[in-house]
Amino acid sequence: MIYFDNLSKRYPGGDEALSNINLQINAGELAFLTGHSGAGKSTLLKLLMLLERPSAGTLLINGKNINRLANSKIPSYRRQLGVVFQDHQLLMDRSVFDNVALPLQVAGQPRKEIGRRVRAALDGVGLLSKERHSPMMLSGGEQQRVGIARAVVHKPRILLADEPTGNLDPALSAEIMALFRRFQDVGVTVLIATHDIDLINRMKNRIIRLHQGMVVDDGGIDGSIF
Amino acid sequence: MMGVSMVQSSDTRSRRGGAGIKVGLIAGIRSACGHHLHTIQDSFNRLAKEPLQTIMTTSVIAIALSLPATLFVTVDNARQLGSSFESFSQITAYLASDTSSKQVATIKQQLEAIPEVKSVVYISPDQALEEFVHSSGFGSALGSLEANPLPPVFIITPKAESPMPDQASQLVNKIKLITQVEDAQLDMLWLQRLQSLTQIGQKIVLALGAVLGMGVLVIIGNSIRLAIHSRRQEITVVKLVGGTDAYVRRPFLYSGLLMGLMGAMGASLILVLGFWWLGASITHLSELYGSQYRLNGPGLQGCMLLVATGGVLGLCGSWLAVGRHLKGIKPK
Repeated sequence: MIYFDNLSKRYPGGDEALSNINLQINAGELAFLTGHSGAGKSTLLKLLMLLERPSAGTLLINGKNINRLANSKIPSYRRQLGVVFQDHQLLMDRSVFDNVALPLQVAGQPRKEIGRRVRAALDGVGLLSKERHSPMMLSGGEQQRVGIARAVVHKPRILLADEPTGNLDPALSAEIMALFRRFQDVGVTVLIATHDIDLINRMKNRIIRLHQGMVVDDGGIDGSIF
Repeated sequence: MMGVSMVQSSDTRSRRGGAGIKVGLIAGIRSACGHHLHTIQDSFNRLAKEPLQTIMTTSVIAIALSLPATLFVTVDNARQLGSSFESFSQITAYLASDTSSKQVATIKQQLEAIPEVKSVVYISPDQALEEFVHSSGFGSALGSLEANPLPPVFIITPKAESPMPDQASQLVNKIKLITQVEDAQLDMLWLQRLQSLTQIGQKIVLALGAVLGMGVLVIIGNSIRLAIHSRRQEITVVKLVGGTDAYVRRPFLYSGLLMGLMGAMGASLILVLGFWWLGASITHLSELYGSQYRLNGPGLQGCMLLVATGGVLGLCGSWLAVGRHLKGIKPK
């Protein structure tokens, strides 16, 4: 599903954010990406979202090399992804429903279909009753669940999450993780960047550890930090 | 539980239909039309949400457009006034007052011999005085004159209906060479002056229109720039969830179009009201001159042209702003 082949990313300043990354994440897998801040987690996610282009190496998604994807093809590529942000990136001037509907609107879905899918996604995160609310009226955990609903409403095959539990207490974090596991159970490939070690150790999933732009551990579930 | 079933259906769907979200052609066209309508409505709502800002921008555009449009209609009126007299291009030859009737007959022959001349009419001093007494209303005052002060006159009509200025003045010079002709005047002279004045007017309209059109571009571009700035986060999120550049651009282009159209409608209103207000006085004035002349307002066609111009300017202005400022917004 996701295949990094000797991938490096060097920013114009000269710092090598990622060097020689070799990784394979299979379809339907749930993997955690961890490491100190500055270890390259965000850069790796940015490369997957095509917010950045790699300096060297190959990135294959679904067997397709996306390094040379034309800029005009980026929107349709991003529609195959679902992304959850730490600060959830909700638009406060519109309702929960309209926030979740956004990925379907930009894809030109008919309005009826949008209504059906948005309600299904909101139901999935347990917020159907709040579709008319403004995100401002929701708690932090609820806002993050709206973010997740928006990330999955268009049924992506790959779900990326950048510190999705960063601002939440342990109980809410566990709830969010349970949601991610449910998406994995139905075949979505999930990649979560987090430094919440306690949480990921309880999850018993694959853990990819980054340190200074390199993969230093892949697969371990013990809690040692570099 | 519901979440699971939701995504399950997604998987079967994507296996059936290939990639993530695809829409059929007809459904796609219908939803695109719906989306455009929705975007226009949304752009309109955003303008309505800030009425003060919108009214100010719109009135500035309206004033900027109404200035050259007023001048254009005025010049057009002057040109129409001129063209209604165009066929009356005649040359008046004034003879010396001591010219005898025999000499008059010779001069008439001489004039008729000029190839460019179509017809010649002689007006004796007595005829001229009689006509003048009738038309001027100074009858009793003129009756007290001891001698007729008017010279004998030939009215010469050239063959060409509306001769070119240099042709006409050549003819005038030829006529002046005839003995006993003291002076010859082209009646068209004031008309030529009017024509060249309207030409200057047209050039002023063009220059003023160009400058103020640029002004409108800048005004609309600036409001769009502010709108882009205030919707920065939204643009970022839309790009992150796979919105195309065209999708991001669209609401701003519609906003610019709407602003231009509304401003031009305001300008049309200013024009129609202004010319209606002035028209009554002009009609009264021309009645006093015994003329049928009526002031022409911009008319429906003129207004439509003005509104279309406003729309084009709005679209161009927002296009420039969008091109300049959207590139800078990239998700991080």
